[in-house]
Amino acid sequence: MRRHLVASIVMLVGLTVLLGFGYPLLVTGLSYLFFRHQAEGSLIYRHGKLVGSQLLGQTFSNSKGDPLPQYFQPRPSAAGYDGASSGASNLGPSNPLLVGFVAGVNTVGLHGAPSPRNPFATKADPACVPVTVRGTPVTSPVPGQRYARQPDGAYVCDPDTIPERAIAYRQFNDLPGSVRVPVDAVTASGSGLDPDISVANAVDQAPRVARARHLPLAHVMALVHRYTQGREWGFLGEPTVNVLQLNLALDELR
Amino acid sequence: MTASGWEQLLSVLAVAAVSAPLLGRYLAAVFGGGKAPGDRVFRPAERLTYRALGIDPDSSWTWRAYALAVLAFGLVSTLLLYLILRLQGHLPLNPTGAPDMPPLLSFNTAVSFITGTNWQAYEGETAASYLAQMAGLVVAQFTAAAVGLSVALALVRGISGSRRTVGNFWTDLTRSLVRVFVPLSVVGALVMVGQGAVQTFRGFDTAATLAGGSQTIPGGPVASMEAIKLLGTNGGSFYGAGGAHPFENPTGFTNMFDLLLVIVLPFAIVFMFGRLIGHRRQALAIVAVMAAIFIGHTVVSMQAEVHGNPRLPASVSQAVTSTSPGGNMEGKETRFGPEGSALMTVGTMGTTAGATDSALDSYTPVGGAGAFVAILLGEISPGGDGGGLYAILVLALLAVFVAGLMVGRTPEFLGKKIRAPQMKLVLAYVLTIPVVVLVLGSTSLVLRSGTSAILNPGFHGLSEVTYAYASAANNNGSAFAGLAADTTWYNTTLGLAMLAGRFVPIILALAIAGSLGGARVHARTRATLDTSGPTFAAFLFGVIVIVGGLIYFPMLILGPIGERFAG
Repeated sequence: MRRHLVASIVMLVGLTVLLGFGYPLLVTGLSYLFFRHQAEGSLIYRHGKLVGSQLLGQTFSNSKGDPLPQYFQPRPSAAGYDGASSGASNLGPSNPLLVGFVAGVNTVGLHGAPSPRNPFATKADPACVPVTVRGTPVTSPVPGQRYARQPDGAYVCDPDTIPERAIAYRQFNDLPGSVRVPVDAVTASGSGLDPDISVANAVDQAPRVARARHLPLAHVMALVHRYTQGREWGFLGEPTVNVLQLNLALDELR
Repeated sequence: MTASGWEQLLSVLAVAAVSAPLLGRYLAAVFGGGKAPGDRVFRPAERLTYRALGIDPDSSWTWRAYALAVLAFGLVSTLLLYLILRLQGHLPLNPTGAPDMPPLLSFNTAVSFITGTNWQAYEGETAASYLAQMAGLVVAQFTAAAVGLSVALALVRGISGSRRTVGNFWTDLTRSLVRVFVPLSVVGALVMVGQGAVQTFRGFDTAATLAGGSQTIPGGPVASMEAIKLLGTNGGSFYGAGGAHPFENPTGFTNMFDLLLVIVLPFAIVFMFGRLIGHRRQALAIVAVMAAIFIGHTVVSMQAEVHGNPRLPASVSQAVTSTSPGGNMEGKETRFGPEGSALMTVGTMGTTAGATDSALDSYTPVGGAGAFVAILLGEISPGGDGGGLYAILVLALLAVFVAGLMVGRTPEFLGKKIRAPQMKLVLAYVLTIPVVVLVLGSTSLVLRSGTSAILNPGFHGLSEVTYAYASAANNNGSAFAGLAADTTWYNTTLGLAMLAGRFVPIILALAIAGSLGGARVHARTRATLDTSGPTFAAFLFGVIVIVGGLIYFPMLILGPIGERFAG
């Protein structure tokens, strides 16, 4: 055993030097030689200032967190588009925090026991998940719990469920009730840094952006098409629209 | 499934079908003992290693000596990695200011990477320094893969050889690294950087965003880790989001390239086995079983994910159109879509990589069950580097034994009789992981320290816990990541599950190699059960499914199956 231990130590010291330092340094050197732009993170500069990375999504909201209508909006993010803490929501497919209280699936009564219907339903959102006066969503109600209410007495709903996001998306983009919201617009990505939206999502947002910028819709749509990236090699992955590049191009129009 | 889903699946399989046999031929040359391509380049490096270690590369050991060397190497590696993680805050190359990792989390992480599990209870961006990732975790990813391949080589020698010895661990380890893992990783990493993966020593940059805010932009030697993470069937990522992170997996192309890197070596190792035993049809039969299981679990998951989540309101469109990926997009990236995500994530579940590009916790019950089943069948579709081969060879011995009983003949595999001593080892092997998973999983469900870490309520929460142990014990490392696993209970028990799930099967596989090594090889007669034809392949498939099903069915009923039918 001692013989093996000594050999193990010698081997590991050697491997740590060669694989732990030599290998990443070799790869970094070759990467900088051939693909410097990519190796550094596909960074985008405007007027000499770093504005982001082509590969990372960012928020287009004001300091209060409200989305800016003159910019295309990215997907919801569980990481708040913070590059130092990537990640997903990890909410299960029937978690009320994700899908709301769906009648017959996960609805509970005012006392927290399973119930066939959602007692917190509002006119706009039958799947409403109520929040406390502090804004915390309540998924396990108990008697005596105090809930936030709207002026007309209806419950205030957790804005991060998919039904509420769909309502907000329609309002923000002034879409008629017959238009269904593209699924990527109301779901959070795996990384929390998704740089892309679907083409359908961009098309639905284009009229709002055009109005906010006093531009003809055709101009905005032309940009959407220019920044639409098809499937690689025609079949790998999905078609996407890069939000940061599109918004940068819009700013250039001014 | 859509046309583009099928195209992605079939193109990956087609490229693997061409490259794995070629790579297998190369591996057979490297490990067959004769001349091999690249001798002139690699020989000097190997000789230097042997001299430094003070060993005779041509000596061949008993299985006990081989197992002791594997254990000694594992012990020393774990200690060194533990020290690096504990002291990372005081060591250089730490531009993001990661603090020392706490003791239990260091234990869990060290064990996790040494065993090739790559379960990550820490956040890569902020909790691990560049030095710890490069010189600690990446080195462990290389060695874990090389150890797996070495053990497989020992078992192949035992099963097929006429000698009582099973080879030399240091020679196997050195050759695996020098001739297989390092060169392939350099090439793989460069392809990824070309596509946009990051490879830099810059720390966090701060960008001034268009909307007037600021954004942190991470850096790091990412691609070099990504390559061996995949080729070594490890699965541990530089960043918390893993393969979903655009800096690790930037395009639809890299998504499929990543999957290919994961599955090509395990398949190639089976082709190598066929050549080493001089019986290539035997390898084909095994590859067919592996591929059938692989296609099974990926297709089921892809179909479930593109079908979408029935609990979403009617106001949301999950339909696949030319302008929308549709499907269950929670936890998935737009550039991969539901099918590309399920193909990559669930595809790698049949190996010990468990490299996800999407959030498994948010998969539909059936989509998540695809991943669950791939792991619970023991990771043989196509399994880890080396691990896949030794796992399926053990199952093949079991299948031969069952078949022998059914027709009333002494079971034989590759001309060697399988008797009681071998069957005891095979059964111990088959039972090790289920015992670990079911005992620790059910204990967690009755302890407050187990249940308080669950994020999602109901059936799904049970899946989070049992999946964690299945993943750890099978050295997969993927997670239903809602589980807050950085606790005393989970760090300790998952660490133990990983250790048991790695080293007990290795010792048993080597013991089987030892007990078959030197056994007399009987000539084939008309009465010999053919183990290389389609009949045996189908029979092996059945044994795998029935054994896995019998052991885990109750757990699956309480988890994903219950969730699917509830409400």
